[in-house]
Amino acid sequence: MKQALTRQALLKILVIDDHESVLGGTIEVLRKKYVDAQFLTAVTAQEALDQVAKMQPDLVVMDLSLPESPGKMARPDTGVKLLRNLMKNHINLNIVVQSAHVRTLVRIRPDIDIHKGGFTVADKSLSSQEMLTRVDWALQGLTHTKDIKGVHAGLEVKPEWLRVLTLAFEEGLTDKAIAERMCVGERMVRHYWSKLQDALDVYPEEGKNMRIQTEMRAREEGLID
Amino acid sequence: MQAELWKIIKEEIAIWRVGALPGIAVIALVIITRLSGYMQSLEWLAFDNFLRIRPAEAIDEHVVIIGINEEDIRRVGTYPIPDREIAALLRKLNSLAPTVIGLDIIRDLPVEPGHPELVSAFQDIKNLVAIEKVLPEKIAPPPTLPPEQVCFSDQIIDADGKLRRSLLATPTEQGYKFSLSVCLAKTYLAKQGYTLENGIRDPQALRFGNLELPRFFPNSGGYVRTDAGGVQMLLNFRSGQKRFRILSLNDIKNGKYQAQWIRDRIVIIGVTAPSVKDFITTSAVTSIKPAQGRVYGAEVQADASSAIVSAVLDSRSLLNSWAECWEYVWIISWGVLGIAFARLTKSPWRNLVAVVIASTILIAVSYLLLLYWGLWVPLVPAILVLNLNGIAMTALYQYDQALRSRIEARQALIERTFETIHNGPLQTLAKALKTIREQDLSSEELLPELEKELEKLNYELRGIYEFLQREPLTQDRSLYLGNGLLLNLQDPIHTVLYQVYDHTLQREFACFSTLRVKIVTFDPIDDHHLSIEQKRGLCRFLEEALCNVGKHATGVTRLEISCTQNEGWYTLKIIDDGLGSIAAKEGRGTQQFRNLARQLRGKFTRSPLSPRGTLCELSWPVAKFGFW
Repeated sequence: MKQALTRQALLKILVIDDHESVLGGTIEVLRKKYVDAQFLTAVTAQEALDQVAKMQPDLVVMDLSLPESPGKMARPDTGVKLLRNLMKNHINLNIVVQSAHVRTLVRIRPDIDIHKGGFTVADKSLSSQEMLTRVDWALQGLTHTKDIKGVHAGLEVKPEWLRVLTLAFEEGLTDKAIAERMCVGERMVRHYWSKLQDALDVYPEEGKNMRIQTEMRAREEGLID
Repeated sequence: MQAELWKIIKEEIAIWRVGALPGIAVIALVIITRLSGYMQSLEWLAFDNFLRIRPAEAIDEHVVIIGINEEDIRRVGTYPIPDREIAALLRKLNSLAPTVIGLDIIRDLPVEPGHPELVSAFQDIKNLVAIEKVLPEKIAPPPTLPPEQVCFSDQIIDADGKLRRSLLATPTEQGYKFSLSVCLAKTYLAKQGYTLENGIRDPQALRFGNLELPRFFPNSGGYVRTDAGGVQMLLNFRSGQKRFRILSLNDIKNGKYQAQWIRDRIVIIGVTAPSVKDFITTSAVTSIKPAQGRVYGAEVQADASSAIVSAVLDSRSLLNSWAECWEYVWIISWGVLGIAFARLTKSPWRNLVAVVIASTILIAVSYLLLLYWGLWVPLVPAILVLNLNGIAMTALYQYDQALRSRIEARQALIERTFETIHNGPLQTLAKALKTIREQDLSSEELLPELEKELEKLNYELRGIYEFLQREPLTQDRSLYLGNGLLLNLQDPIHTVLYQVYDHTLQREFACFSTLRVKIVTFDPIDDHHLSIEQKRGLCRFLEEALCNVGKHATGVTRLEISCTQNEGWYTLKIIDDGLGSIAAKEGRGTQQFRNLARQLRGKFTRSPLSPRGTLCELSWPVAKFGFW
């Protein structure tokens, strides 16, 4: 209990947005839930990079439309570049992308798929409650990218995720055993689960077991027999 | 490999030809100008200047000049100098035992007083040579001298009034005669054991011992169609201001000399008084008396004698030139070098530097050849062809290159436009045609369907036009995917390929609707070695492969797409499990892929899988040394 409190107290959240007002609004909403958290802000991509490098935040909540440096035009491209950079250099960073241009993220989808930290997307039109949920998921290391999925038919998965699925539900292995079989760390297996659940649209719900939900969905989609 | 090399050589020849034709024309023009004589005065100028800037030589001890100057004339009180004075001078000099005395003063008529004294001196002094003039207006020699003691003093002047040649011998009505310089040298050298003979290599040339005096020809050096009558030689003036010891009549009378200056030497007696005007113009020596660019006749005789004597005894070089054909080889070589510079140097500045350096080397080499070997090489025409070709051709090459790159850009644009049309509107059109041919829709159903397709086609075609309009075509870094979607090809290739995949799967192909799972791997790969064009090719490959799945893989449920790096190879693989049929005929797309595979030095495979499905794979090796 004490440890949990300490962690809560040490939580550092970096909010990135080029509009001071949006910045204030977002922090206000977040502060309600994370009372003891330390909030950092950045209004340009450059500042954001510096802050992340210096402060090592637990979570980044960012807009995509950002200026490179003060005085420059705010462009979604800059945000995408920043995001690519953050994911490359801080592989375990939890990220929430809060933007009106979330479809732009298709451009770095392969990078998102291999990002180990939590990654959720929150369209700017979401309610505060929904937004807070996405933030919470990101902090848990989960992935929520439903909003940027292609509209094409069929599930989109990576071969490793399928293997985890097969090993877990056809051979009944534990995460540890799966990790051994796949020659990766257990943490990696958890990362695969998170991605797989996102692909299957399985997200935390009150009173539901996510593993069982995942199995049901996978069978439904014909990923396992 | 060999074929490739041959191709490179052929291309190179083609490029060379662009510059080579005008380059050769320039060389030809310069050669024609030279042959027509218009370059003669420029070449003389270069020649004279080179001779003049040579380092000074020591005084020639073989020859001494007794110059009767203005003061001597004043003291004698009359001009011409009376025969008595000359006779006294001759006897005095003779008593000092010179090897030979050359009297470079006209004495065809008696100048009293003292004519008998001169006649008797002529009789007594056997090593005396006097002069006559043989061409074209004649002046007789002193009448009492036997012919073997008479030589001519004629000089040949070039068209610009300057002296560069020395006439050594000439046939006359009285027989073959030698110049004063030859006579003096002959007597002097005979005493040293060298007799005058005919040449061996060139029978007409004069020869002392092993040394043949290089004969002047009508086109020697920079000369063009000059009268080379008799035996002539280019006159190698001694360089420096003090070339010979010059004593005055007064010096001799008053004993202001040392006996060894005269003993066993060639003594030339002449008039060195400006009022007598026995001088000659030349630019080859730095002369102050009698005026700049002029030397006295006696000095010229001394120079000519000295040139022969010191060539034989001291191995001093005589002036010479190459046979004509070698001169032209030399000129053409420099011209070709100029063309090469233009071809090989990319920037005009570098070319300029190269041409300047080459010109400097050319000038230095020409000068050194003249200085040490007496070789007169054609400098002016060589400089001209080098600079004209080097600099003018550069402009031409730059122009040609610009033209070529424009044509290439145009070709690339056509290719790209067609690719865009092929992967976009043509697919839509094919789909529409298929709908009509299958005839499983009634007319009422078909028409709205067709209208939809055609509208889409219309939209897509317009999209292409807009895309082409927008792009600065020469440095295109983007890929157009239809629907106004532009991808930046400078982004990491795996993310670009993902977008191609994402976009293509959204297109309305019949077979996509049955898809249940797509197993997608786009690993980040090192794409430094991929050019923009190759990246574009990879994207088009993926697009086309996916289109094929959409069109032909009936009942496909599982689609595997991967771009990975493994064991030194990159692989872009598309596997479906549909009932695809591989067309027997290679379509435009397939051909495109074979080209791409060749460009990447990789392999392209398309094969059916068992029990059903199709594999479409492009793999290429990881560049190890970053060559491409």
